[in-house]
Amino acid sequence: MTTIPEPVTRAARSMADRALSWLHANRNLGGLPPDTTETMADPDSVYKPLGETTLAASLILRDGVAGPGRLAAAQSLMDFTWEQFRHGDMIYERQLRHTLMTDPLEMYAPFVRCGYRHEGLDRLLAHRSRMRSAGSVEVLPNRRLAVANAARIVGLPATEDMGALAAATWLGARPEPWAVNWITAYAVTHTVFHLTDWGADPGGLPPELTDYVRTWLPVWIDVWSEVGQWDLVTELLVVGASLEDPYVRPEDWEAVAALQHEDGLVPRDSDPVDDDPQQRFTDHQHTVVVAAVAGSIALARAGQR
Amino acid sequence: MSSHSAFAEAADALAVSVLGALSGTGGAVQLARYVDDAPDTLAALAAVRVLGADVFSPHLLGGDPFQAQDAAVVAKAFDAFPASGAPDEPAVAHRDHATAVLLARLSGDDTLRTVAPAPPEDAALAPRDDWSGWCVLMAQLAPLAALGLDGPVHEAARAGVLSLSRGVSRSILRRDFPTALRLVRWLAWLRHEGAELPLDPDVAAEHAWLVGGTGPRTALDLAIARHFLEQRPGTPPKETARP
Repeated sequence: MTTIPEPVTRAARSMADRALSWLHANRNLGGLPPDTTETMADPDSVYKPLGETTLAASLILRDGVAGPGRLAAAQSLMDFTWEQFRHGDMIYERQLRHTLMTDPLEMYAPFVRCGYRHEGLDRLLAHRSRMRSAGSVEVLPNRRLAVANAARIVGLPATEDMGALAAATWLGARPEPWAVNWITAYAVTHTVFHLTDWGADPGGLPPELTDYVRTWLPVWIDVWSEVGQWDLVTELLVVGASLEDPYVRPEDWEAVAALQHEDGLVPRDSDPVDDDPQQRFTDHQHTVVVAAVAGSIALARAGQR
Repeated sequence: MSSHSAFAEAADALAVSVLGALSGTGGAVQLARYVDDAPDTLAALAAVRVLGADVFSPHLLGGDPFQAQDAAVVAKAFDAFPASGAPDEPAVAHRDHATAVLLARLSGDDTLRTVAPAPPEDAALAPRDDWSGWCVLMAQLAPLAALGLDGPVHEAARAGVLSLSRGVSRSILRRDFPTALRLVRWLAWLRHEGAELPLDPDVAAEHAWLVGGTGPRTALDLAIARHFLEQRPGTPPKETARP
């Protein structure tokens, strides 16, 4: 039985419920501009955040541990983002226009997880998966894991050796833990996210990497909490909850839950939060997504026998 | 009149002398001559007390002979600055006692152990969930990571390999390099005992020194750690004194 202490489940419930409420209430602030086409000048501005919101909603639906009202809100969010992508047409057009880009596949995967499909995109992705060219795009190893996991969710034929991909990451080297920096810590969290399929398959993280993460996670949570890097800290909470034997220290979870505003916003760092609604959304949407994911995964692990 | 800064300067000067003896570049440490030649005798005695057990490191690690007049100087330093009896200073009490134990052993005069009695049993020594707070205490106790000492602090270190390793990583990430090197010294001592460690103390020590090492006392921590690391793991000390 997976052991998640009661104070953690209480904090996780609060984080997930309020984060989902915030994402749903503010969803229109993250909508694509009306004239958006498949060729975007700045995909990180709205396109990527929409994918992140989709991911959070899909994991809440997958885990199924939220109350009926929250599940309805998550479904509503999925419908909203699917609508924004013109029922998949936009993702399809982006993949059609940019064969070597991997983000359409990654954007599509959470929809597939929840039963949304686009026939043309399915055929295009199946074709693309047979291309040696698409499989040889030069990307960082942890990003390659993201693509491989997305392909797995979409149901494409497995072409990657996940173990070999894991070994090629920074985490896979089990390097000096004191040499990690901010951006590399994010590479670590994402390596764990993709190998465990966001906490659904803790055994996907090789045992030696599980041991390594479990050894050093307390240090990383400590140092980034001290400097108020709450977005990264919350990602590290997801990592802890995704381990075979979860590392979930109540004080860490309660600290993040205590930061959450009444409306559900979780600040990304210790800087002041802007009053402007659009700026608040732009600055903190990612952290709210991570809080929703962290809470959902911890609750799902607590419910496992 | 001696001042705090004069004490600190004297401690640094003595640390330089000990470092020289340890590395073989500066001749043996002669504590009696150091105090006799010092412009401020009280500051020199304070320096002997501040460095504590570390003044013996060239004798313990390098085999330098320990002279009777040097033992007298250490005893005199305890007269000038008596051992701490304050219950809120457990680290000081442990350091003082370790100094007294080594003084008695190297001088052959067991009565000198009484200059600093053994502290009472200390629950704070046991590794605990609050590994970072425990590491602060163990960093203060780094002079006890010395050849020839064994006792409750060392038992705590043996039980706290993971916490000490986390403490080293935390300290480097926080750019607190003196603390990192004090904790590395414990890891080096553990490695010398043959303990398995989750990180390489040699690389951590070199990194901490290159990036942020400064001052002769931190250099002394590094040098002592290096002595442990350069010896074959599991090599037992010739003789162990139990505080």
